[in-house]
Amino acid sequence: MLCSTKPKLLWLQAITCNGNAHSFLNHPELFSILSHYDIIYHPILESKYSLKDVIEKILPCDVLILEGSYIESGFLKGGMEVSKVIDRYAKKATHIITAGTCATFGGIFKQKDPENISGFGFDIEEQTKRYDIYASKLISLPGCPIHPKWLSYILLMIVNNNKVVLDNLHRPVELYGYTVHTGCTRNEYFEWKIDTKNFGLKEGYLFYEQGCQGPYTRGSCNKILWNDTSSKTRVGTPCFGCTEPTFPQISLFKTKTNMGIPANMPLGVPRRAYLTLTGVVKSFKIKRFSEKLLEYDK
Amino acid sequence: MKKIQIKQLIEKIEGEAELDFTFNDGAVEDVKINFGFYRGIEEILRGKAARDALVITPRVCGICNHSHLIAAVRAIENGYENSGLSIELSSKAKDIREFTLSCELIQNHIKWFYLTILPELEALLNEKSGEKHGLKASYFSSIITKSLAIFGGQWPHSSYTVPGGVTCDPTYMDVMQAESLLDEFIQFFEQVVIGIPIDKYLDITSVSSIYEIGGDFARVLQLMGMNDMANIGHSHDRFIVFGDCILSQPGKSMITKVFNVDVAYAEESVQVGTKAKAVTYKQKFYEVGPLARAMVSKEPIIKSLHKCYKDSLLTRVFARVHEIAQLLKYSKNLLRDLKIDEPSCILDPHHKLYEFEGTGVVEAARGSLIHRTTVSNGLISNYEIITPTQWNLSNGTKESLGIAQKGMIGLNDIELAEFVFKSFDVCSVCTTK
Amino acid sequence: MLFKSIGNILKIAEKKALKRESIIQTALQLFSTNGFHKTTIPDIASKLQMSVGNLYNYFSSKDILAQEIIKYTSEALGKKIREVNRTEATAEEKIHQIVTVYFSMAKEKPEMIEYFLRVYLSNREVFSDGCEGMVCVSGFITEIMIFFDDCVSSGELRNQDFFSAFGLFMGYLGGMVFLKGEDVLPKEIEFYIDDISRNIYHALKA
Repeated sequence: MLCSTKPKLLWLQAITCNGNAHSFLNHPELFSILSHYDIIYHPILESKYSLKDVIEKILPCDVLILEGSYIESGFLKGGMEVSKVIDRYAKKATHIITAGTCATFGGIFKQKDPENISGFGFDIEEQTKRYDIYASKLISLPGCPIHPKWLSYILLMIVNNNKVVLDNLHRPVELYGYTVHTGCTRNEYFEWKIDTKNFGLKEGYLFYEQGCQGPYTRGSCNKILWNDTSSKTRVGTPCFGCTEPTFPQISLFKTKTNMGIPANMPLGVPRRAYLTLTGVVKSFKIKRFSEKLLEYDK
Repeated sequence: MKKIQIKQLIEKIEGEAELDFTFNDGAVEDVKINFGFYRGIEEILRGKAARDALVITPRVCGICNHSHLIAAVRAIENGYENSGLSIELSSKAKDIREFTLSCELIQNHIKWFYLTILPELEALLNEKSGEKHGLKASYFSSIITKSLAIFGGQWPHSSYTVPGGVTCDPTYMDVMQAESLLDEFIQFFEQVVIGIPIDKYLDITSVSSIYEIGGDFARVLQLMGMNDMANIGHSHDRFIVFGDCILSQPGKSMITKVFNVDVAYAEESVQVGTKAKAVTYKQKFYEVGPLARAMVSKEPIIKSLHKCYKDSLLTRVFARVHEIAQLLKYSKNLLRDLKIDEPSCILDPHHKLYEFEGTGVVEAARGSLIHRTTVSNGLISNYEIITPTQWNLSNGTKESLGIAQKGMIGLNDIELAEFVFKSFDVCSVCTTK
Repeated sequence: MLFKSIGNILKIAEKKALKRESIIQTALQLFSTNGFHKTTIPDIASKLQMSVGNLYNYFSSKDILAQEIIKYTSEALGKKIREVNRTEATAEEKIHQIVTVYFSMAKEKPEMIEYFLRVYLSNREVFSDGCEGMVCVSGFITEIMIFFDDCVSSGELRNQDFFSAFGLFMGYLGGMVFLKGEDVLPKEIEFYIDDISRNIYHALKA
């Protein structure tokens, strides 16, 4: 296959922890995905050019992957402002993918300097001044970190020349049209409002007390499992809402309640509906749900 | 006396760094290790609920996030204990935490071996094999992190440990799946990395038997041996370990004598010209990492290597690869003995502890990781993170050089110096936080 | 032809709904005047001038009728409180409005509140199968929950356990209406609205 026919991929990092890059390395078909591309630069894998080349020269770039929060000035690599390097390649690229919540909305690192640090296209939910310039090429992949298959989905859609359907924040609806709640193994407990008494138990749902944000967080973590095997909620850890613009919030392991009523409702569900349903369901005592799922003989 | 100043951008070290070399008559006379940006996680943590550290601190680093998680939960538990609450983790929770931590270390070392050491060594010595080393790194890494995810839910960035234990409650099915994945890794490791069965490898305790090793490891050792790399990269021969784990107990090793340590004496200081802070133990620089752990625990094969080659580049590289084998064996035992009918979390969720101070220590991939939390009114008033790379990369003075600095002094090739630098397995994002 | 028959069906359905409601209201009256156990289905049927058999078409037993009545009164009260919740008033004003609604209903339709206190609370066995827990009063409870949720998230009321606050509010109101029913209150119940609202607000405010 001629190298010149493959689209050119450039992975640039701004203020990041590298979590998205390492998450992507876990993709079970990593090299087959990447074989469709000509890798100009990648921060971990071997690539055609060095970072010095990326900064000093003007390399070809079709698909630009941005990882990390954005800052206009004060962050230099190899003597040049990272924002200027990003700008140079953003202009050349046909697709700009913001990989991770930091690059998309600002994420954790925005909290160090909320005035000056933001996502590339969005500052939490507001459009940045770069949005108008690059909106036609922008694809948002929030997540902390991203799931490797979310990125491979976009890379393959581009290669196959398919149009990716996006929502108003440029998130692919095939990935973010679900909630993290979809497919959680504790759904039955959620249906019948059986609280869990503590962490570390197989039984009970985590929404009422343990701060689980799954029912109102957009993502597909319980549909496309993490590391092909599991998810946070499946191992009893509450969802922290890491794909949302508001990530991270405060007091993450505890549900915020007003007089015992959860402050946040499942996505799109009106409070009256949720409370009425809860009231009905809590009136019934289903024996199976109050028992332990399994016990081992000692 | 021809002095040249060269500023070299080092990349692919979990971010970047700048090495500011002073060459005199063609040899490295001085080198300053500088980092240009810091994200301020310790400041971001202030004002947050104590347990939020379990979610925020892993985001210090994309490759060693799990170590930060364990350090953070240990810091909180230590804080509770300092306030009078007694915490007896179930052996199940302890073992699960150790297992997932081992998985991360294994993932880190194997990536370093195949994404940094092999390709850079080949480039340095002009011995390109044409192999796609990245493929092996990716395959190995995805298997072992999958095993981790069975307990942790996901990797990177799991937060499955809480004060008092873990959130997961695994079944035999889960444990056996983790075991199968571990076995798969071991099989591949034996085939490709060491060329011999792992038990045979772990029986090697003397330099004289190193020739028995095969695979890619043998190739690296040969290439290094033939190019004098057992005679360069020496540092102070001073090592320190703060964490208590199967690989080593806490202690410091000066040449070969081992002494006790107290983590309270680890102290950070601001450095000029870089955003990274230096760290010393009683005002001295110490090396942390696999070689340190091996020296403090007196691991036989490393002792033997050290006898011949001291803390050279070769000894350092060997120690890190050796740890993979040790951890694999250790992890198998952990899973086999896991008591799944014990409780996962023993702490009552409704205790009310709002004022405490605690320290959590972990032996992370690159060395000792320390988290210090101060909580007031339920919120974090101060949080300090000291990462292993900070220890190794502190800049010293001519009289008292830093660890990695010393390793590079005297070399007359900038790329070789870069290779010595990378043999410390540098993590840029951890160094600056 | 088709329109006429659809029109007829709708007319019949409307008539049935009105009939159902009149049964409920009549039953309410009789239960509150003569007591729950003393009132029989034939009593109710005869008051409405309908056959007992026909009444059974609407409610298959006295217990079922009792349960439907509680749902009906709960809905009625809930509807009024929903209107209060929909306003932009302050917590203090809303409390005043809810107390007013409750006491007005106690005055204009005393049978409703009487029914709740004297029939529902005192004959739990009648309601144990079909009205488990709070199922039948959810119309009312939900609106109180929404009221609390709104006022805590706006910072006006102190965050606390739901039942602590609910007990204070509803226990107080129920107690006053009970006293009214016993003819113990010297003044008309509207007289007490201001003081009671102020007491509740000060007890619950942030």
